[in-house]
Amino acid sequence: MFDKKSYTLYKFHKQLNQSFQDKRELLECALPALRNLFKLDRVYFFNWQQERAILSLKMMCKKEYCMDMQEDISVANEPAFLRQLLQQGVAETTDLSYPALYVLIRWMRPTVELKAGEVRSIMREKVGVLRLERFRKNRVFTNAEIDLIKALGEEISHNLHNTEIDQTKNQRLNISTALNDLSTIFASSLRLNDGLELILKGVQRYFHFDRVHLYLTNSEGTRIKSVLGVDISGTVTQESGDSLREEEKQILKEVFDSSATYRAIRSVIYVPLKVQRTKVGFLTFDNILSRRKIGYLDFISLQQFASQMALSIDNARLFERVQELSNYDELTKLPVRRYFNEKFAEEIYRSKRFGLSLSLIIMDIDWFKQINDKYGHQVGDWALKAVSKVIRSSLRQTDVPCRFGGDEMMIMLPRTNAEEAKVIARRLKEKISDITLPDRTSLEPEHLSISQGISSFPADASTANELLEKADQALYVVKQHGRGDFAVYREVVDQVQQVTPEEKKEENK
Amino acid sequence: MILWAMPDSGARTMEDYATLVALFKKENPSVEISVRVFTRNVLWRRIFTLKDPAHEETPDLIQIPHYWTALLVKAGVAENLSQLDPGMSLTNCLLPLKENCYQPGTKDLYSYPWWFDLSALHYRADHLRLVSSHPEEDLKTWPGLLSICEALREKFNDVNGYYPMQNSDWRGSLSMRSALPCMWSRGLNFFTEDRAATLVGSKEFKEALHDYITLALKEYMPILRERGSLGTIVSGKASMVISRKQGISTFTTRRGVRVCTLPVPATGEKSAAYLSGMNLFINTFSQHKKDALKFIKFCARPDIQLRYARMIEVFPAFEDAFEKFISSSSRLQIYKEILPSANVLPNIVIMGTVMEILKRVLAVCATQIVEHRFTQASLDRELDLTAKEIEFLLSIYKG
Repeated sequence: MFDKKSYTLYKFHKQLNQSFQDKRELLECALPALRNLFKLDRVYFFNWQQERAILSLKMMCKKEYCMDMQEDISVANEPAFLRQLLQQGVAETTDLSYPALYVLIRWMRPTVELKAGEVRSIMREKVGVLRLERFRKNRVFTNAEIDLIKALGEEISHNLHNTEIDQTKNQRLNISTALNDLSTIFASSLRLNDGLELILKGVQRYFHFDRVHLYLTNSEGTRIKSVLGVDISGTVTQESGDSLREEEKQILKEVFDSSATYRAIRSVIYVPLKVQRTKVGFLTFDNILSRRKIGYLDFISLQQFASQMALSIDNARLFERVQELSNYDELTKLPVRRYFNEKFAEEIYRSKRFGLSLSLIIMDIDWFKQINDKYGHQVGDWALKAVSKVIRSSLRQTDVPCRFGGDEMMIMLPRTNAEEAKVIARRLKEKISDITLPDRTSLEPEHLSISQGISSFPADASTANELLEKADQALYVVKQHGRGDFAVYREVVDQVQQVTPEEKKEENK
Repeated sequence: MILWAMPDSGARTMEDYATLVALFKKENPSVEISVRVFTRNVLWRRIFTLKDPAHEETPDLIQIPHYWTALLVKAGVAENLSQLDPGMSLTNCLLPLKENCYQPGTKDLYSYPWWFDLSALHYRADHLRLVSSHPEEDLKTWPGLLSICEALREKFNDVNGYYPMQNSDWRGSLSMRSALPCMWSRGLNFFTEDRAATLVGSKEFKEALHDYITLALKEYMPILRERGSLGTIVSGKASMVISRKQGISTFTTRRGVRVCTLPVPATGEKSAAYLSGMNLFINTFSQHKKDALKFIKFCARPDIQLRYARMIEVFPAFEDAFEKFISSSSRLQIYKEILPSANVLPNIVIMGTVMEILKRVLAVCATQIVEHRFTQASLDRELDLTAKEIEFLLSIYKG
């Protein structure tokens, strides 16, 4: 039924008729099969680097195994050999002292290109070469064998084509799964920074980048505000835009001015992050250390992901702004009571756990009601703003002030004992006493003053409510003694009387 | 357990690994080992994907050139051997190899020496006798080597495919590893002493590289030719080779060919050799760390060191085995003279990358030579750009 050639071809076809993960796996199956069929001593597979006219050895098959190998052979000065190989698909070497046959393998490989701003899938021809050697018995290749080898070469070409298509499909599927996973992670992160960290780590791991950096701009998109990065060890770094070197600051302009952001040879790519015309920042991916080329498909996928990421960053920033507004009092720009209570509870817990001190100052503006009545609410608001400005500028970053209600304000001072709190209270008292009310009718300038009550953990109380109560009692003592001063609960405890809410209300007037 | 290794004995590699594994299995029958052989190129690419959870296979033990250790520590893929086995030490290890096993600046071991090799000049005594009465003297310097090459070429003018020098590079191309002795011989290094800058762009470095390239430019050494057709000492189509000991194993198989060994001819004041060490490291993500450690300790045992070194024609990395190895043959005595002049590549994060960059430069150079369009100016320009690239790397990775 079958002649010998057809039968061999059929058998070879059956052997290769399976799904291979990549070119290597296919060759690991095909080369030993060829070796057995033609009783070869060795079979080699080369990639043909057409631009350099070099055959670059990739794999050798000897006995039953295959092994990676390297060897570069220039064919630039071998026009006759080249012509024969290209025209006839096979060529015998003239250099070696034993029979060796070169067989041309051509196949199409799917790839992508960016033309006129559009991503297009195209097929590009790849060329490889098989070298079949018989050096032990110096058996020459017969014409029938050469014919059959050519046919088997075509079978390998066909399978390489299919494998490359499968591989590209899998690669695309993996990329889209990875990006989908990353988008889900990002969407489920409550805080912008946490989400970005996860994204950068994920992109680095999935795409095998040495480093990934995210440069975020200020809200106007005019300068780099911060840089978040993941280095080769997976360590996350964060830097302020101000600490960047001058040349690094310049990248912002370059990234947005240049449309060519794909630098395959340099192993670095820049991807701008934009929402409509607003610059959000840009991403950099590099393989500077590993020198691995960043695939064009990866680049395009990351570009598409970046537009999604830019939108998410913009949304997250908006959300943070809304949150900021809901946590801060619009008039005084101080945190509101709800936010303060959360922080206060956290800090009390931390102080208890680590045996740290904590102090609380309650204050109000002296004669605030009278100021409102005499000069109007606008001046009253002005006074609140002026006092809160002094508070904001006089505290450490760890201290948390808040507008508790009306003219009543509070300051939580972590890791601060009563003596240290007194220093802060004195500073506030002095600075606020310098503020004069903006009244043009009065001859004498009218100065503002505040009264402050201080309580400390653990000396005065051990719970948040108790601390509030004790500070409030100390404030009441100050008010009873003429206002404009401060007192620590422990130091005035003997003067504290149990007051009814009505009496306290009266005093507050 | 999976071992990723390199083709250390060329086409014989798989058989040699099979022998080594069989020896190990005899003592550890419960440990399964599969060896996967990759070229240095492929291995270089693969170590950067070890962290990928979707990686097709997780190797447990990996063979690396000595100067990759710092990089692997930085990438977080090398297991801390000092933590895995606090008893591990390098007491008996040859001095030049020690520094390459630690995380720079610490006493934490991250890779363990396996074997090493030294570059030297090997020549066919019968060929050299035809052109020189004192080859030992004439081959002391690089100009001397070039004169001998010229004389040999004239002598063997009628031998088809003859080259005075055999190309020892696996790829049959120009190789940075072969060029290193020319650099060191001139008292040069890749970096300034504080490692803040590179000397790759310097005039001296360019001259050193030119010394080596001259062999190809003057066609004393074949490049980019089929390996089978390259001039080899054994076939009589070459008379000399600058090679690591590994590359000359075939000499001993051909009777009547007497090969002598000398230090690499000096391009500068004194001769220098390249000491290339091979280490093993355990993958952080390995599930078989104990087995991998067993294999490392097995390979470091003096009897195995000696046996394996003889098998693949290299040198044992530990003193006892090395002494025994050297004293076993009078032909090896010369290496006692060569060893003190040997240099190693520094174990710093960017060293592997620097070698990759220079490999690319030399690959382009080789193509240009073959196509007769090489100019020194274009190589100099490439090296200037390379220097900038290296300095950028230094600024990022601080060495």
